[in-house]
Formats: sequence, C-alpha cells, structure tokens
Amino acid sequence: MVSAPLRRFRFGRSDVEARPGETVLGALARRGWPSLARSVRYHRPRGPLCGVGTCTGCLVRVNGVPNVRSCRREARDGDVVRTENSWPGPRFDVFGVLDVLLPHGVDTVHGLRRPSWAAPLYQRVGRRLAGFGRAPDPSAVSRPAGSRSLTAEVTVIGGGRSGRPVAEALARGGVRPVLLDRRRTVGPQEPEPPSIAGIDLLSGTTGAFLSPPRPGESPTFTIVGVDTEDRAVLVRSRAVVLATGGYDAALLFEGSDRPGVVTADLALSDLGLPLGRSVVVGGGPRAREVLDRLGAGVGAVVAFGEIAPEVVGAAAELGVPLYPRSRVVRAVGRSHVRAVELARRDGGGGFRLPCRSIILAHRRVPNAQLAFQAGAQRCWFDRPGAYYPWTDARGRTSVPGLFAIGSAAAPRGPPGPATDQLVAAVLGPATAPEAPAPTVGPPGEILPYYRELLRERRRGKWVLCPCEDVLLDELEAAVARGYRGIELGMRYTGVGTGLCQGRYCLPEAIVLLAILEGREPAEVGYVTQRPPLVPTALGALAALRDDLASEGRP
Amino acid sequence: MTLRRRDYRTVIVGAGILGLYTAYHLAKAGCGPLLVVDRGRLSAGGSGRNGGGVRQQWETRSTIRLAREAVAAYRRFGREFGHNLWFRQGGYLFLASHPGELERLARVRDAGRAEGLPVRLLDPGEVERLVDGLAPGACVGGCYLASDGTLYPYPAVWGLYEAVRDLGVEVELGVEAAGVRRDGRGRLEAVLTSAGDVTTPTVVNAAGGWSGEFSRRCGLEVPNVATRHEILATEPMKAFLDPMVVRVSDGLYLSQSMRGELVGGLTVPHPAGTQAGVPSSPRFVTAMASAMVGLLPRLAHLGVLRAWAGFYDDTPDGFPVIGEDPRCPGFVHANGFGGHGFMLAPSASRRVASAVLHEPTDLDPREFSPARFLGSGAAPSSERLQLG
Repeated sequence: MVSAPLRRFRFGRSDVEARPGETVLGALARRGWPSLARSVRYHRPRGPLCGVGTCTGCLVRVNGVPNVRSCRREARDGDVVRTENSWPGPRFDVFGVLDVLLPHGVDTVHGLRRPSWAAPLYQRVGRRLAGFGRAPDPSAVSRPAGSRSLTAEVTVIGGGRSGRPVAEALARGGVRPVLLDRRRTVGPQEPEPPSIAGIDLLSGTTGAFLSPPRPGESPTFTIVGVDTEDRAVLVRSRAVVLATGGYDAALLFEGSDRPGVVTADLALSDLGLPLGRSVVVGGGPRAREVLDRLGAGVGAVVAFGEIAPEVVGAAAELGVPLYPRSRVVRAVGRSHVRAVELARRDGGGGFRLPCRSIILAHRRVPNAQLAFQAGAQRCWFDRPGAYYPWTDARGRTSVPGLFAIGSAAAPRGPPGPATDQLVAAVLGPATAPEAPAPTVGPPGEILPYYRELLRERRRGKWVLCPCEDVLLDELEAAVARGYRGIELGMRYTGVGTGLCQGRYCLPEAIVLLAILEGREPAEVGYVTQRPPLVPTALGALAALRDDLASEGRP
Repeated sequence: MTLRRRDYRTVIVGAGILGLYTAYHLAKAGCGPLLVVDRGRLSAGGSGRNGGGVRQQWETRSTIRLAREAVAAYRRFGREFGHNLWFRQGGYLFLASHPGELERLARVRDAGRAEGLPVRLLDPGEVERLVDGLAPGACVGGCYLASDGTLYPYPAVWGLYEAVRDLGVEVELGVEAAGVRRDGRGRLEAVLTSAGDVTTPTVVNAAGGWSGEFSRRCGLEVPNVATRHEILATEPMKAFLDPMVVRVSDGLYLSQSMRGELVGGLTVPHPAGTQAGVPSSPRFVTAMASAMVGLLPRLAHLGVLRAWAGFYDDTPDGFPVIGEDPRCPGFVHANGFGGHGFMLAPSASRRVASAVLHEPTDLDPREFSPARFLGSGAAPSSERLQLG
C-alpha cells in the first residue's frame, strides 16, 4: 500500500503535519488537547464542544480568513493557521482578566452608559473586544471558485440511515434525485462517499437555505448548499425530503462552558481529541455508543434518571461505575476540566470524580432548522425536550411538498413511514395535512433537571450561550422585567444569536424559560428560524446571483 | 385578554418605536388614560427589524431638522430611559458611482450645510481612507457626516416600553385593532379591538408597515404602500468599518455593529403589500452578497450569519404622514416613514403628540399633513434620499 504524502501547514510558529483528508483540528489534536479559542465577551477558555462544525470552540484564522471551523476545514499544504481573539495566545490570554474583573458579567442593556462623556470610550473598547477574528486580510480576496445550479424533481437532504434509502429508492424508480450530505472530511478514516448510481450526489455540502415555493416568487423549493471550500450550489426542486438527523444537545451546569466538556457527537467523531478519562452524562443508547467506542477510557456514567439495561450491561463488562439518579453540579477546572462534581438526587451530598472530559450523551435533538426555515409547523416533545417539525404518517410536514423523516422528524420511538410509502407521497401532488394535531410525547427528564438546577445557589458565571457568553442570570433578568417568551428572551439577552444559530442554547433556554415563566415549553414558543443554517460565505452566495436574479420580480 | 378600561383619552395602534414614543410624550403631558395596542409581540415589526441607522443627511430642510433633533434625543436616551442604545456616531458615508450622483450628493451637502451640519464631499482617496479595502474604482466620491451613526433598536423599545408603563400607560400586546366606529358627523367615536370596543376621541395610527392597511380598514383611502425590504448580518469580526456606507446607485448599505457583525441591505424589488409576510428570499441574499463583495472584495470568504425582512411604509413623496385626517376628526396619522421611522421617531413623535393635543407644530402641512394627498395639487417638494 502506498501512503499518500502528508500535508504540511503552519500553526503559529510551528509546522504541523496532516494526513490527506484530515481536518486542521484533527491534525492539531494529535499533538495534545488543542486550545484554540477564547470566548467572545469574557475571554473564558473555550474548547471544541461539538465536533460537527457548529460551535465556536475551534475557530481559527486560515490564510487570512477569520472564524474558520477547524473541525471542518481540511488541512492543505501551505495553509497558515492562527488563533484568534486572544493575546498572546489562547492558552494564556491577557484579556482573560475580564473574566476575573467582571465576576457577574456585564449588563450591556443597562450598563456602560455613565458618565455620558465616556460612552465613546466604552464603544471603542467594546468594538475592539467584540467579534472573534479580525476582518479578512485585504489579500484574502480569492473568490470561491465556481457555482452549480441543478434542477431535480426531488431533493433529499441528509444521506444517512434515513435519507440514503429514500434517495436510492427514488433513483430505482427513475427519478434522479439530488442528495446533499454534509459529511466528507470528518476524519481520515471516513472515505469520501462513493458516487451512487442514479443520484446527483453533493457530498460535503450543507443545505444552508431552504425557501419553499411562494406564489408569484418561486414555483419550486430553492435550496442553497455550501461546501467546506465555500462553493455554493443552487438546487431547485418540487419536493424536498429532510433526513438531517439529530445532534447531541448541550447541557447547562456550573462550568459547562469549560474546555473538556464535549458532546457525544465529538466523542464519537474521528477527530481524535485526547479526551483522557471521561465521565459520560446520560443513561440511554447514546451513552452506550460512547461506552462502546471509548471502552475503559470512560471513568463513570452519570444519569439524571435511571440507566438503561444495555448501558448497565456494557458498563459492567468494562468495570465502569454507574451513578443513576445523579446530577452534574459542576465542572471543576478553569482552563480544562479536572473533575466533575456530582450530587445524588435522593440526597446524600455531593462528591467529586477526577476526569479530563465530560461527555454529554443525555439527549439528542433534531436538526430540524431547515424545516422551520421553510415555515413548517412545530411540535414540542418533552422527551428529549425539543421542537420537531410536525409530520404525519406519510412524512408530510405542514408545508406542501416538504417531508421530514428519521430522527429529524421524531424522537426515537415509532418508526417513520416505509420507504415505498414515502416515495409514493413524495412523487404525488404536493399536499399538506389538514390540521396538524398536537403531539404529546412521554414526559422527559430535562424539565425536572432544570427545575433542580434553578434552585441551586449560583457562583460565578453560568454560561447559557457559549457563542455569545450570555449568562443564565441575564435570561432570568429578562423574565423578571416582564419580557416573556423565547422571541423576546433572545432579543433581550442575545441568547441564540451566535454562530451556532442557537443549536447549543435555544433548546436549554426554552426549557429554562418555561420554568421561569411558569408555563409549558410549547407556550414559550420558538424563534423565527432565520436563514442560513450555517454561516455561508458571501463570495459563494454572490456566485449564485445571476441564477436567481430573475426570480419573483414584481 | 381584558382591557383595564372601556374608554381612553387616546388609543395608539402599534407598540413600535413611534407608538411608544408618542405615548411617552402624551403621558408626560398628563394626557391619560392612554392605551397602546399591538397585535404582535414587542419589536415584532419594523422597530425590531431595522438596521439601526440614524442620519441627518437629507435633501429637504424639514427632514434634516427632524433628524437633528432625533440624534440629540438618542444621545440623551441612556440618561433619560436607563437603557444603553450603544448609539455610535461613526458617520454616514454616501457613495457616488458616477458624476451625476456626485452632483446630487453636492445638493445633499448644501442642504445639510444650510442647517449648520458639517457635511463634506469626499474625493475617492478620502473615501478609501474611511473604508479599508474598498474595491478600486468603486466610487467617484462620497458625502460624509461624522455625527450620523448607528444604534441598537431593541433597547430603545425596552426603555420606552418600561417608561410608558411606569407613567401609567396601558400597553396591550396581542390585541389587534380591527377598525374604528364614527359618529353621525364622521368624528371618531371608538376603536374596535380584538379585546372589545373602546370609546376614545383620538386614535393614532402608528402601525408601521401595516398602517396603510389599518387606515383602509377604517374607511380612509391612503397612498401608503408596504414594501418588503431585506437585511442580512455576517459573522462578527473585530472593528474595521466605522461609518455606515450607503451606495446611491443601488441602495446598498452596510455598517458594522457593536458586536462586530456587518449589517446591511439592498433594494431588491418585491411585490407590494403585506400578504406574503416577511420571509427572507434567496434572491436578496445572493444579490446583497454580490454587492458586498463587489464593494469590499476581502469579504469573499466571510460568512452570512442570518437574513431577515421587514416592511417599509412608503409614501409617494417620501415624506411621512403626521397629523389629523381631515376626513375623520380624531384619526391621527403617524406613519409613512419609508423605512426611516426608527431614526426619526424621537422628534416625529413629538409632532404626533402635538397633533393629538391640537397644538400647532413647526411642520409644513404641505409636506407632512395627510391632507396633501387629498387635493389635486402636488407637494412643493419631495424627499428622495430614501436610502440606508
């Protein structure tokens, strides 16, 4: 076997080698835990949280372009990678003093306005501190090359367990679907998905915009996808099937924003982060997957509720201790997790387990943002504690022509529509169910969890939104002043307005607001899902201008 | 939803910046009881959807005067209302793409100078010093006023909302004004709301993008047209752009917020009216992206973070409509701001309050009165700098 030559890129003052197809983060992780980022407001140490290109814990500057997610960016020869938002570096950052000087954070809604002559000064300093990276270098003008425009009867977004069989069934039936799949370079082990006969496969491409047909504007769905090289693709189709799966949600507790707190997505990825001895939070199938992957690297399994028999069995084989009916009280450690503090829910006080990482495997929530972007009606499921697009037995959402299947459509439980049934519905006339009935799922654990959390005495900052450093206190202050509901909560505090598009704070914020306002999560509402789903390069979008220019002019 | 009373001295339709500011002035003047109704949540309309620009460069003297007063009010806002707007006076820079536009900007400069504002025409070199990384040949010159700026709209809404409630104004969100009832002589008698009818001698139509619809529902034909405009914001970066930049040729505008995001819009025509709602369109996002990269090529790999839309409430002559409708005594207009309601609200709302109280104002009725659309004579002037 001939091994392909290694890529060599510059990171700060050192040269780093990467295997072909490896990401910048993956290559850096082989040298030890990568400290790359500091938080935006208080310069708290941040580490990779998600491993799937969503959070802000691995942002770097690559070749003069700021805010590049190193977990998605393939390393190339000659790349110049730098850290951002810290001086001299993220490991020791002098601006970290802000975190110490402002133990309760800063109130940007009411504070920093006196004396009035100082306002311009606050603004100058604030503007210097705000943002992650510096503006792109004037030399970083190379436009993303090329754009594609496709038309298909059906577009399937997501080529995993649910999406791929549908795309293949459509292809067998003589309909050539477009299949978008965001995966390509999640790690060196995962080869590029092979081309599939009868399918226009766009791998490594994330569906960023999904605009439904609008009378007088567009007769078809308009999908804009973007790949990791900032190339955009425009797809128009009559029907869209969302098979975008789910992701592991975040969880708020003291120190939950510390480096070393990661989601199961990251732990199960091929990024190869040195997780050391880890404590797994969650007692369901996802915890089992983590146990299977990390084996004896897991030091303990902690669950708020009971622990499922399959996890008990796997843990017993590995000799991993279990802590059911327990709650994470605190991640101990400043620049990295050193230990986790737990409390038994039935009393008996707290105790501490040393660990290097805390893996959040407590609940998976849907990647349903595209459905909401298109205006699909949503329904709240207490278990896991998230909004799903409302779907009927045939996979139809409330938007005619838009379908959702798999874990993007419903929590684990009853199976979705059979593939042939779905295909028949997709190819049939675009209709919507008459009146979506509210769906009631079984009670979940997230509401009781946050009820207990809110009763706790707080020390220091509890970061609800890690992208924008929004604190739990700020959300409470908004409610106390009478601003109810997630839409106002978001506008008042900034929660959900960061680079992750709220994926790691909005599900938590909705549950917290429900408790603080004394009503049901479904009554707290959901934010208008504003496009795009992922930050999409201006140059990539610009390349599509002419393809869309004539659409819907009055 | 039940209202506290069945009769009010004034009912204000719309809890946006203009409605709340008007309520504030009236409450300060002791003109209660006051009711503000809005069918949506707070800042659901234009007051929560605008780009936060506040400028004093206009073509007409009357607008310049309103704008100057508004800037002074927004500078005081933090002291007066306890909320920080982060009003940053980083300047407004209009860019001319050809000599004809530069001539027009020279008139804008002259109008500003006549009112004592130090508006300056800039040559391309000076423009490049203000806008780092401007594409070569992107403009033939510009027009600049350093005291224009940008602010965060939300805290202004919070501050006013809390202030008017402290003054005893009843603000009911989720209550829709369906129309009005008039007495035998055509005078306003009551406002019909989704929470029941309320008796009142005065109603203020401050419904923003929906104000034309509300007037028509009340049987008053008005020329207001709701047009959809869109905005996008990029990922946050460290500060690199101080002024709000506006291109005259296509209406492109962008500024960098305190959070570091580039926020801006571009005029992309949509069918008029509010029926289609305010979705963001791929057509706008791609056209805007193309315009931004054309102006600042270094932005090519910078990501768009979110896009949204809102309604402008346009009038034929570009002036807002402020004053009592002669066809329906008691019906006061406070609308037609054409996408500039937020920036003019502090001063315009004072005139609205005066109209409610039947006090004289300094506004030229030929420019601002709703009566100007009823006669056959055209207005003596128009405000055409409907950009940014």
